[in-house]
Amino acid sequence: MAAVEIDGLSKRFGAVQAVSDMSFEVNAGRVTGFLGPNGAGKSTTLRCLLGLIHADRGSGTFGGKRYEELEHPSGHVGAVLENASFHPGRSGRNHLRVLATAGRHSPDRVPELLEQVGLTAAADRRVKGYSMGMRQRLAIAAALLGDPKVLILDEPTNGLDPPGIRWVRDLLRAEAARGRAVLVSSHLLSEVEQSVDEVVVIAKGVMRASGPIERVLGGGGEPIARVRSADSERLAGLLRERGIAVDGQTGDLLLVHGVSPEAVGEVAAEHRVVLRELGVQTRSLEEAFFELTEHGV
Amino acid sequence: MTALLQAELIKLRTTRTFLALTAAAVGTSLLITVLVSTLSEPDADSVLTDVFTSDTSSLFITILAVVGITGEWRHHTITSSLLAAPDRLRFLAAKTIAFATAGVVLSLLISITVLVVGLAILNVRDLPVPEAGDLLERFARNAFVAGLLGAFGVGIGALVRNQVVAVVGLLVLGFAVDPAVAALVPEVGRFSPFSALPVAITDIRPEDAGLPDDLDLLSPGIALLAMLAWIGAAFAAGAALLIRRDLD
Repeated sequence: MAAVEIDGLSKRFGAVQAVSDMSFEVNAGRVTGFLGPNGAGKSTTLRCLLGLIHADRGSGTFGGKRYEELEHPSGHVGAVLENASFHPGRSGRNHLRVLATAGRHSPDRVPELLEQVGLTAAADRRVKGYSMGMRQRLAIAAALLGDPKVLILDEPTNGLDPPGIRWVRDLLRAEAARGRAVLVSSHLLSEVEQSVDEVVVIAKGVMRASGPIERVLGGGGEPIARVRSADSERLAGLLRERGIAVDGQTGDLLLVHGVSPEAVGEVAAEHRVVLRELGVQTRSLEEAFFELTEHGV
Repeated sequence: MTALLQAELIKLRTTRTFLALTAAAVGTSLLITVLVSTLSEPDADSVLTDVFTSDTSSLFITILAVVGITGEWRHHTITSSLLAAPDRLRFLAAKTIAFATAGVVLSLLISITVLVVGLAILNVRDLPVPEAGDLLERFARNAFVAGLLGAFGVGIGALVRNQVVAVVGLLVLGFAVDPAVAALVPEVGRFSPFSALPVAITDIRPEDAGLPDDLDLLSPGIALLAMLAWIGAAFAAGAALLIRRDLD
């Protein structure tokens, strides 16, 4: 059974269909990136999953149980939500004490986690004096209080500096390596592409694709052959005669859609056209991500 | 439930708002006691009411409870609170009990302070002091009322949600609407949860609490039932809203 299962989830706010028939799974030992532009419905989906927003249809479950049905919810699921907020007059340590007590976690976890997220020195300062990065670290510490089996992070790198972003990436990988299921949302592919195994791409509340990152974003569409030739005009004509689309032609470079490089090579050999380069045109992950979500932006 | 209650009590103790309002409650109560016991000449019949009814805990604990629950929305801590304890009814129940407890503790703190200072001044001035039993009963009734108003404040805050509106509305109700209703429509005013019912439960005369002399207060027992009905209604309405609400 999947660690997290979202099945046919839909939510409307007034005239806005925020999430529509969303379904995907998150498995233990994997980091799943939940990607989409701002306003795509990521936070709404996560909040429905965590019981903070009531879904109109469908469900979000953890091992078959809704969040509020879990025997020890914050011991099973740790969550960092966007705009994680704190009482500004309470210290970081006391914030964690409150949540540790409410969640029935050992009070010993508080100093441990303050150390783990690098906030020991600032633990007794009031949160209103914390930087954005420190607040994010505190929110992550709160999510880890119960050593949860499932970790859900909504835009966890917001406000973090480059070392902070790297720290979050390392944390995601480390938690997955410990067998935890990790679901991390982001509107920036570049911030998570190095740490995710699977992706779920959404736009306008609709899931566009899901699966291993290489398959979803690594050129899952039609093949594109990249070919250079001194006689590119003639080669383009020969290919078009065979009904093959040549979309891009810049100088001696041709981008040939819908056929493999081998097929282009055979045509060139048949007509004794000299090639200088022949290969597969690879899309960048960013390009693929944009293609999947551009209609939702 | 115990864990939730403990968490709520930690929340209470770990902000300056609680300390500031506690200090204000103790300070104003003490000031009234010092002024009355220093400047007036109470006799044996009036000393209990004149010197030892200065407990302002009811006002401050109501404000504190409203600030406590509305602060969950103001600072968005409601999200982390409900992630730790997703049962919203239990969450609100724990907060209600926590503020009721805080009201009792605050009132007892004020009572002890007022007792020590009031008795000291009365002794120095060689004035009569109340019977110990009467004092204990008065302090117990004050503490009970403070607990009830702490619980009631949570219900109000859960209903209104906007902190500024809730606190200002509470003050307007307590200091303007309530006295006006008591004076103009006494048959309605005697059911007021901010003045007439607490005064009736405390078992003091209406004129000693700033209410019209001729206000026919309910008996303490009936007043307690009426107050519990108010608390129950506020809690039920606040809980229904909280359970239904999306936290986005």
